[in-house]
Order: sequence, then C-alpha cells, then structure tokens
Amino acid sequence: MSQAPLFSSAGELANLVVNSNLIDVAWANIPEIQIGQAAFPCSVEPMDYSPTPNRTIVVFASSPNGTQYPLPEGGHLVQSSLFQFLSPNECPSVSINRAALDLFTSLESQLHGLKTKLIEREGQLIITGHSLGGSVAALFTLCLLDSMDKKSKCRPICITFGSPLLGDFDLQHSQWNSFFLHVVSNKDPVPGLFLPSSRSPSTSSHSQTSVYKPFGTYLLCSEHGCACFDDPDLILKILTVASSEVSGELQVVDYGEMLRNLKNKAIWKGPQLAGERYGNSFSEGIVMELETIGIDTAKLNIDINGMEREARSLTKKTKASEAKKLNDIKKAMANLEWYKKKAEDEKKSYYDCFRNEDKKRHVDAKNFMEELTIYWEDMVAEAERKPQKEGKSFRTGWLFAGTTYRRMVEPLDIADFYQGGDGRDYINSKRSQHYKLLEQWYKEAAKPPTREDLDSKKKKVSILLTEDSCFWAHVEEAILSCQSLTNATSTTKQRESSWENLVMFGEYVMEQIENCAVSPEIFLNGSTFMKWWGEYKAYIHNFRNFYSSRLVEYMKRGSYNQYG
Amino acid sequence: MGETVGNLIGLNDEVIHPAATLAVEAHNSPSKQFLVKKIKIRHDLSSVVVFAFSGSMLPKDWSGQPTFAKTEIATGEFRSLTSLNDGGDAVVNGSFLRRFKDVIGNLSKAKELKEATEKKRQVVFAGYSSGGPIAILATLYFLEKQTPSPRCLTFGSPLVGDRIFGHALRREGWSDYFTHFVMKYDIIPRIMLSPSSTEHEQILDYFKSKFDRKNINPAPPSGFYLTVMGNASSVASYEACRLMGCRNPSLDIIKSFIELSPYRPSGTYVFCTGNGNLVVVKNPNAVLQILIHCAELGESNTAEVEKRSLDEHSAYLSELKDCLGMQAVVSLDGGPATATLNDLGLSPQAMLCLQAAEEFENRRSRNLENFRKYLEKVEVELEKMRKYKENAQISRLGYYDSFKLQNEDDDFHANVSRLELAGIWDEIKEMLKEFELPDDFEKKREIIDLGTKYRRLVEPLDIANFYRHSKDKETGAYVIGGGPRPKRYRFIQRWLEHDEKKSFGSRSESLFWADVEQLGIDIKKKGYLQEIEERIQQVERNLIAWIGDRSLDDDVLLENSTFVKWWRDLPPQHKPKSDRIEKLIGEMSERVTQGTKI
Repeated sequence: MSQAPLFSSAGELANLVVNSNLIDVAWANIPEIQIGQAAFPCSVEPMDYSPTPNRTIVVFASSPNGTQYPLPEGGHLVQSSLFQFLSPNECPSVSINRAALDLFTSLESQLHGLKTKLIEREGQLIITGHSLGGSVAALFTLCLLDSMDKKSKCRPICITFGSPLLGDFDLQHSQWNSFFLHVVSNKDPVPGLFLPSSRSPSTSSHSQTSVYKPFGTYLLCSEHGCACFDDPDLILKILTVASSEVSGELQVVDYGEMLRNLKNKAIWKGPQLAGERYGNSFSEGIVMELETIGIDTAKLNIDINGMEREARSLTKKTKASEAKKLNDIKKAMANLEWYKKKAEDEKKSYYDCFRNEDKKRHVDAKNFMEELTIYWEDMVAEAERKPQKEGKSFRTGWLFAGTTYRRMVEPLDIADFYQGGDGRDYINSKRSQHYKLLEQWYKEAAKPPTREDLDSKKKKVSILLTEDSCFWAHVEEAILSCQSLTNATSTTKQRESSWENLVMFGEYVMEQIENCAVSPEIFLNGSTFMKWWGEYKAYIHNFRNFYSSRLVEYMKRGSYNQYG
Repeated sequence: MGETVGNLIGLNDEVIHPAATLAVEAHNSPSKQFLVKKIKIRHDLSSVVVFAFSGSMLPKDWSGQPTFAKTEIATGEFRSLTSLNDGGDAVVNGSFLRRFKDVIGNLSKAKELKEATEKKRQVVFAGYSSGGPIAILATLYFLEKQTPSPRCLTFGSPLVGDRIFGHALRREGWSDYFTHFVMKYDIIPRIMLSPSSTEHEQILDYFKSKFDRKNINPAPPSGFYLTVMGNASSVASYEACRLMGCRNPSLDIIKSFIELSPYRPSGTYVFCTGNGNLVVVKNPNAVLQILIHCAELGESNTAEVEKRSLDEHSAYLSELKDCLGMQAVVSLDGGPATATLNDLGLSPQAMLCLQAAEEFENRRSRNLENFRKYLEKVEVELEKMRKYKENAQISRLGYYDSFKLQNEDDDFHANVSRLELAGIWDEIKEMLKEFELPDDFEKKREIIDLGTKYRRLVEPLDIANFYRHSKDKETGAYVIGGGPRPKRYRFIQRWLEHDEKKSFGSRSESLFWADVEQLGIDIKKKGYLQEIEERIQQVERNLIAWIGDRSLDDDVLLENSTFVKWWRDLPPQHKPKSDRIEKLIGEMSERVTQGTKI
C-alpha cells in the first residue's frame, strides 16, 4: 500500500508569522533605541508599549559597534553556573557564549528587578532584541521561564533579530523551545559568526566553537521569501551555508525593510517551478522552501528522505493514540493487581508466587510487567531530558501512578533476580535506573506523614502495597547473610559482616512494621520472609541464645498475627 | 466533466441567473427587507420560489464588538449549530445575525412562503453581497424547523460562521443546500478573514456610494489589498499548517499572540474564473486555500489587482450569464484537475495546500474505516459484558454490586473489558476533538446506537469502580460539571440527546447508580434536608420512568443490590412512590426465581 502523503509546513508557518504583525511589533522600537546606544554595549528598555491591552514589550538594544565587531574571542563558550538550570539531569554542564554572558552578567542586578516585576504581570510579554541584544534577550527569557510557575499569568515569547548562536545546550525536549523565535536574514553574517566554516574573527578557537547548538524556531529569510525550521541540525547546516555566502564587508541588515518586503511577498504567487507536480509532496515542499530562502539543496547535503521518515514516525504519536496507550497501561496494572489478588486467595504473597512457580498465569504477568516497564522507562527518560524544573513539573502529574507501578512491579523484578539462586546484591548490581529515579522523585515530593495518616493507614494496611519496593531484596540478602553465618567455609570477617547486616535488617523491618509500610502478606506461611525468620530463629537458638531485638521479640510473640 | 452547475448543486440551471438578478435587485432596494419571485422551470413546469434579501454597506452592519463581531449562536432556533464534543457553540458574525433577526419575523409570515410550502414548491433563499449572510441564516432557520429543505444561493457573500458552524452544517447533512458564487478576485468574500479596520470602511464606503448613486462612479480606494489579503493569508497559512500536520510547537505559542479571524467557508463554492469556466468545490479547507491563493498577486501589478477586486464584486450577473449556458464546469472534489487549476492560476505552493486539504479528507475516511474494525471488537466486549450481567443477575446481586466487590474471576474479566472499551472510546473522543473523523460521525445511526448501548451497560461499572475506591473524597461527586465523569460518556450521551432533539442532560439514565451512591453519602453527612428529599424523589421518578422505557437495566431492583438495600433503609415518609417501587422489586424477584428454575 502506498503511504499517505506528508507535507512540510515550514513555508506556511513562516507566512503566518510574517503576516501576523507579531514580529513587526517586536522590531518596531529597536532601531530608535539602538541609535542612542553608541556608548554602551547594551541596555535594556522595558516598555509598556501596547496597541492591544495586556501586552508588554521588553527591548534589549545593543550598540551597533558591539554587534558588528563582537568582542575579541567573543565566540568562546564558557561554562556558566548561572544557567545550570538549563541542563537536564542527563548532562550536567552548560556553556554560554562569552560575549552574551558578559553583557548579561553586567546587567544582572537591573535584570533581576525587571524579572520580578514582569512575572507578576498578566498577558502577553514580548522580549526582543537585535544581534547581541537578542542574545541577552534570550538569556533573560530563559531566566524568566525558570522563575515562572503554573500560577504565572504572563505568557512570554522571545523574538531575536540576527542574533549569534548562544550556547551548547539544546532544548529539543523542552516545552521552552517553543518560546523562541529567531529571525535571520540570509544577508546577515552575525548569526553564523561562531560557526567553524564562516570567517569568524576569532579563528583560533574553531574546535571550541563548533559545539554551538541552535534552539527554538528559526525564521530564515531571503529577499524571495521565508521559512520556519526547528530542527537544530538543519538550522546549523543552513546557517553554515548562508554565512559562507555572505559577501563583502560585514553589513548591518535592516530587518524593518526586510519585513516590509516579506509582507509583500506573502500574497505573491511565489516561484512557478517547473517539473512534476504530485511527485512527493514532502520533498517538493522542502526543496521549494529551501530555494525560497536562497539555499541550493545540492550544497546543503541534507537527507530529505531521512527527514520524511522522522516526520512520519512523529505523526503516529497523537493524542488519540496516547489516550489508547494510557488505557492499555491501566489494563496491564489491573491484570497485575488481579494476579496479586489470586495469590492472596491461595494464601501466598504475590512475590513468592512469582518467585517460586511457573504457570501460564506467571507468563502473562511477565508480559504485562514488560509492557509497563517499557512505558515507564520512556516516561522517566522523557522527564530526564527536560530542563530540571520543567522535568519536575512534568513528572508530578504522574508520580503517584509511577509510584504504584514501582511498588507493584519492582518486587517481581527482584523475584526474577533471586529466583535462580545465584543473584547477589540486587540493589547495587541490577536495579534499573528508572526505579531509582522514581523512588528519588517520590521521596522529594512526599510530605512527612502526620499522626492521622498513620492511623488511617493502620485501618487499611491489608490492601496497601509494601512501600519500599526493594523490601524483598533486603529479605533475600538477609537470607544470604543467614546462610553465610552457618556456612562452614565462611571466614570470620564474612560472618561478622553478615551478622551486622542481619542486625540492621532487623531494625529496618521493625521500622517498616511500625510505620505500617509493609503489606501483611509478608507474614503468610511459607513466604520468603517467614523462611528467613525460620533460618534466623534457628541460628539464634543454636549460636546466640541470649540475643534479642525488637523484631525477634515481635516475631517470637507472634504479634504479627495482629498486624493488618 | 461536462456537467452543469445545476447538476452539481442539485438545482435547475434556469433558477440561478434569475435568482442572482433578484438578489442584486433586492440588495439595492433597502426599503424592502426582501423581494419574492416565482420562477417557472420550462421542462417540467414546476415552480421555484426565490426570496432575496436587501443589503447594507454601513460598517455597523458588518462589524462589532468583540473583534470580528464574534457571537455564539446555538440557542433556541439554531440548536444544531454546536459541537457535540468539546468544541463549544458555533460563532457567527453578530451584526449579520442582528440583521437576520430584523427580517425573520416578516419572512416567516410572508404569504408567498406559506403558499410555496402548501404547494410543495422548492424555496430558494438568495442574497448578493451583505444580503448573502441573511439568506444563509434564513435557510438554516428553516432547516432547523424541518420544513421541506430550502436552498440557499449567494453571490459575492461575506463569510458568516466559524469552523464549528461549518462542521455542524456538514454533520447535519445540510452543507449541500448552500451554494456560494465567488469571483476570482472579489474582495467581499474575503473581507471577513481580516479584522475590521479603516481599510474595511474604505471598501464599504466605496460600495455604498456606488450602490446608492448608480450613475456616479466614486473614486476607488487604494492600498487596502495588502492589509486585507495579508490578514486573510495568515488565516489560510494557519489552516495549511494544521492540514499539513505541522509539528512545530511554536505554532500554538504564536497563535496565542495573534488574533485570527474565526470565520471559515462552508457549503459548496462555485469559483468564477473570469474566462467562462466555473470550478465547483465542496471541501471547505480547499475552498479557503483557493479563496486566498487564486487572488494572489502574479504578473499584474498591485493597483490593477486591487481595482479588479472591487470591480468583480459588481460583475456576477454578466459573468454568470456567460458561464451558465456552457458546460465548462469542473468539480474539484476527488482531486485537483490541472486544467481547471490553471484557470484559477494557482502556484505550486497553493497546489500543495490543496493536496493537503484533500489528504485531510482522505485521512478522515481512512480513520472511519479503521474504526469499523474496532466496531467488531466493541461488539465482542459488549457481548462479554452482557453475559457477565446475566450471570450476576442469577446470583441476585446484580452486576453493579458484583463488580463493586471484585471477588470473582468474572469481575476481573469485566474490569479488563471495561478498560479495553474505555481505550477505544477515548481514542474516538480525541479524534473527534481534532476533527479526525468525518463530520457526520456523531450523527450516524449505528454509532449512536452502539455508543448508547456501551454507555448504559458499562458506565455503571465506572461508577462502581469510582465509589469502590471512594474517589469522591478526592475529586467530589461523580457527576458534577466538568467533574470526574469520563468525557467519553458525556459525549455519547450528547449524541443521543441531539438525535432525539432532547435537552442537554435529559438522557442521564446511565448515571442512576451515581445518583444513588452520592445520595447515600450525602444523607450520612447532612441528614434529610429539603434538598436531599427532592433528590430522593427524583431518583424514584427516574427509576420508574427508565425501567418503564427500558433505558435502565432492571437489575437495580434485585433484592441484594445497593439500591434496594439503600432504598429499604429510607424512612417511609421519604418514599412517596413506595408502593410502585415495591411492586417493581417484587416483579423482578419473581422473574429471577423463574429464570433460575428454567
């Protein structure tokens, strides 16, 4: 079957932007402010300029000097703790263009006040700047985004004109990416200034400058028209080609004039291309869009087919398919809950059921487990790729479900691990990263329990899941410690450390019991926990008859019969 | 090819030109609200009665507050003009609506209309320029009243309604009754895609003086084309982005910073290319793209095109006279035909937009086909549910309570079925929100029936699950506006209510259990207040009515059901319908006893 046609909407999106007046409004005040800027490298001019109410415009103007001849070695990237928040958990450091960062830092106290003021506002907030001013505008917007929370009513957009690349971070997995629009003329050398192939003034530092990454959407313009792209690799390639073709002296592009021209072009029929119509709508569109912005596709060395494949895979992910997915996940959880209930009906804990038996039911459980694991690993990975704060708010929505998943499924992973008899030290050797993160996030988000919480927990402890999803791993290790104590070949040192472990384990279990944090199923006859108790009791009886602890007392008295 | 316009729009060709003539005449006769004319069709001697409406070029009759004179319409006489899912009510231009309301009283009373209805003559509402919107709204008004379907013909009419407006028209199957003739460059059909501005006023002023004093040629304004078409073009680009599946998230942010016109074309469009050919287009997205792209600037200079955009608004009569006799009509639906598109002078980019518009329709049909595969699955799952219910009845507990206890294997399997079905209907819900299914989906008999069956059978289980986990403590009662009740049920209920022409919320039989559960909780909390007492009475009335029309399953009446136990515990003074309900419970008990014996 032939595939449904795909389209590239880069040209249409650009048309929408150009026709909408949004960028005219952003540009309108820049030239005037810039004229008065000869003496200082950069200044901020926040204004309440509004043709419509509820709109604030903040303009960052830099001097024409600073723009044309960026500071010596301005292309250097320097690590910045100030923008550490941009880094996702995945990769911890962030570097920013030195010239932009210096300017930003020199204005910091002024900007801090401005930020506090703006965040209180309601409505649209347009933050804009030209050239290096645009870089500072972008840095300021990033800080603003980091300070905003769900309650904030201000809706920012950052629009830069002819700004150089800013840093090595990428925002591809962040919602923030959509708040940046960079307007770039193919006649403007500045945006490509720090790229290796361009005639950058700081020629000494190519190796260092090649790690710049674009973020946000680029509105790329020529005298024929414009197109919007947001794929960082493609943008880098286009900027590289464009900057190598800028001829003669470094000149300042008049973006106002350029926009007027583009508006005219927008209701023009555009180029009449010769050739086959209805060949491939995607490549036809892309080629047309690139030609419009003055790029010869042959020179660009891009893989249009690859882009199409990627676009096709993205179209499969829709809200509808996600709604279905979410219900599938619920279904898998319901199946595991049922598995647990069936085990309880047979007076077994589901942990032991899974560890010791091998029936069709267990094969099914394994399938559901895998389905859930794939889903949650993806969710955790997605949260990990976002800037820290955004990742946090992304995951709070589902942390509750994620915790239930962890408590339900991780015991089965542990059972799997120790089943063969030669598993050792699950927590340090085998535990999956996504469980660790889910647990860490849960602990960060959880509030300390109150007296009432504990009381209500006591009432329904029988239906709770064991809170510590590694509980069974501790039990398994405790059994291994018991074995090591009684094993003739163990060294004294091994025995000492095993005993120490068992003492700690006893305290740990007692604490769990007192907090109603374990499911009563652990006390069921024949459970791995009771097996441990049997071995432990025997050891104490034989070798340490005078030893006692709270847990030992608790177990010997049979108090656990009243638990739950 | 070779068809006439009349064939394509289902109206005799002989009607079109006289209707256009009458429409122009009526537009320029402000002293009368409308003109009427009877047109005899030569070959079968039947008659068509045309009503044409007067116009106004005063800015206040075109624009208003808020911007674009946006007014929600779906009340009273226009009850169908709404989305049956989350899309809200249709938006129309409030100034046009006001003018329509001025006319409708006299129009309804017109003796010619009465006579036409009695003699079963075809009625046509026609309008030229600002008479067009009135013709459109009048046609809708009578379609809602289910009078024999009137037709609507407009010539150079401005746009009237938004996307939901067009969606509702297509859902109701009314779209084909509307035909709009548009000249290639005429500015008026495009003017509503741009916010009202000094340019608007210049254009309207120009036409006003032109129509008022027919002999004097007023000086045409200039410089408006770039503004009006620039704004219109951003609307077309925005829609093209959606059609093309734009995945750049900036689109939403940018959209939130600008205000685009809400108005979109609906009905059948006939584009007059200016060289004797007519192009008929029904796909509303394609119409929008053609409206913009065929009027783009090409080799001719701006001033020339600008002048043409004014002149062509007065050229319908002569253009149609030349075209209608010929059979040079091409329908664009089913794929653009290159020859015709040459007549429209579309650029390659415009062709891509048209292809995207076509693909969007194709995708909707494909989605419907895919859904048909699901239908079987839904049937299978519903059958399992039905059996589950039957078995539960034998145990005298009822499937609601059995499910709530979750003790047996059957309960678990029912839960898996419940989740399976929720997945399918949630997917449909999301697709409808994104307009990814055909417009008439929510009006299809088999869909409404299947949905209703699903809702009545399965929603009680969602309610059981909700109260089993005491979720009311976290989210409030199951049924509160915008509350925890899954939207899929709300939508499906709305389809049925719309189909039966009942008020919103009147078909809530699947919520019976939620009312009972919540009342139980509230009585414990508040005691027998006046408000509670009224709710108990309502539950009793509902029970009797819904058992009566079989929309509620009778196993609520089982001796051990939550309902019967709760109801029996009520103090007698709170049970006005006690005898009647005891009788129902008794009958049920008998039925089950007999059933078990067999």
